[in-house]
Amino acid sequence: MPDAIRFALAIAAKDIRAELRSKTALLSALVFAALVLVVFNFARDPTVLAASDLAPSVLWVTFALAAIVALNRAFNVERENGALDGLLLAPVSREALFLGKLLANLAFVGTVELVTLPLFTLFFNVSLGRALPGVLAVTALATIGFVAVGTIFSAMAVRTRFAELMLPVLLLPFMVPPLIGAVQVTSRLLAARPLSEMWGWLRLLAVYDIVFVTLCVLTFSAVVDE
Amino acid sequence: MNGSDAALAPARRIVRRGLALSLLGLVGLAGVYVLALGFTPIEARQGLAQKIFYLHVPAAWNALLAFSLVGLASILYLWLHDPRLDRFAAASANAGVAFSAVMLTTGPIWAKPIWGTWWTWDARLTLTLFLFFLFVGYLALRAAVHDPSERARFSAVVGILGMLLVPFIHLSVYLFRTLHPQPIVLKPSAPSLPPEMLRTLLISFTVFTVLYLGFVMTRYGLMLAEELQEEARDAG
Amino acid sequence: MLAEPPRNGEYLIAAYVVATLILVGYWMRLWQKARKVFSGPD
Repeated sequence: MPDAIRFALAIAAKDIRAELRSKTALLSALVFAALVLVVFNFARDPTVLAASDLAPSVLWVTFALAAIVALNRAFNVERENGALDGLLLAPVSREALFLGKLLANLAFVGTVELVTLPLFTLFFNVSLGRALPGVLAVTALATIGFVAVGTIFSAMAVRTRFAELMLPVLLLPFMVPPLIGAVQVTSRLLAARPLSEMWGWLRLLAVYDIVFVTLCVLTFSAVVDE
Repeated sequence: MNGSDAALAPARRIVRRGLALSLLGLVGLAGVYVLALGFTPIEARQGLAQKIFYLHVPAAWNALLAFSLVGLASILYLWLHDPRLDRFAAASANAGVAFSAVMLTTGPIWAKPIWGTWWTWDARLTLTLFLFFLFVGYLALRAAVHDPSERARFSAVVGILGMLLVPFIHLSVYLFRTLHPQPIVLKPSAPSLPPEMLRTLLISFTVFTVLYLGFVMTRYGLMLAEELQEEARDAG
Repeated sequence: MLAEPPRNGEYLIAAYVVATLILVGYWMRLWQKARKVFSGPD
């Protein structure tokens, strides 16, 4: 067991190092996120819709779209280098391989989210204050769910002709429950509502994560092995 | 190509039976129309539009059935690697899209006169929409992957993940609506149906199931035929 | 006491027509595909 974890961490570290060197996925996703925030700002009428009403939805749609950009780029870079095939030749458990990829993707998407968050508070004049730890926690919870599914789908999409289109088409339905949960919890956090009001959603997010991370770990070998 | 004619015989049989069965289903459908329109009482509060129920509900059931079978076949395929399971899953998804389309069109047409709005994000319509998206995604993926083994494996993974998504969508909608109750003017299906309505509904269910079986059989046969032709071409 | 049922027959017709088009259309697609597959030029 520890071997698998060590291997997963090694894979994750390799991917993260590669990305830090080229920075293409991170930069595209960050620029994209900033642009989405700007568009949302100009797309609403401030006299009709207060920023605070729209804020959680805007934040999460931005996160979702930026995550797709990041996931696409991450696997594309790898396909171009043919690195995945080399890894598959190694006598390594597919589960560990998936966990490594998942950790790396979480690092990418997490970074995009961490940079987008202050931009968001800036553009939308939202003060996180005491809600910050809660927002970070729910962000982590929701992100794990859709990045897990995104990781396995991008492994598939990369082998198809229209990879950039295939990934969102497959992934978006799976992003809906984490998104709904995240928006509901975030909006309650920003309104300083009591924890009891978020409990149902948090449980949904947690169960979603457990179910789908497990499923993806179990089915990953079907995607990468002959 | 007479050589391939003989090779295609089993597929031809399946397709013929499938077409006949679904044609029978269509005739049955006409019978359901007559039954629903001419021999079933009009619901007092909802009026004539309530009769859409006799098409919408069986179509919804079929879409859900088709989807569950895709999921089941996917699990079995990853376990047993039998290509017949993959073919069946694809055929079921194909038929499922047709029934989802019926759901997605009759649903809003029913909702507008009853609830005053074309769309509500209630559990049934939302699930309908998601089933449709999942079917489309599944079929798009199959179209985009050329290697048969890869296609079968990838589809199976999407089928399994999709099947498990459905309860989460349902739960999300349920949580959302209990916290944001929306006014409902009339409930579309009465809690207890008068016997004639129940009879029409059950007959419609039977007809729709026959349609599903016929459609799936035909699709399955067509896929088999294409695979056999491919093999004959490669060999010849 | 019993009101007249609402007049919404046009929705009924629309729904039944659309459903018929989809299901019959699907059958026709299957039939055409069968003809193509089993007697197409090879």
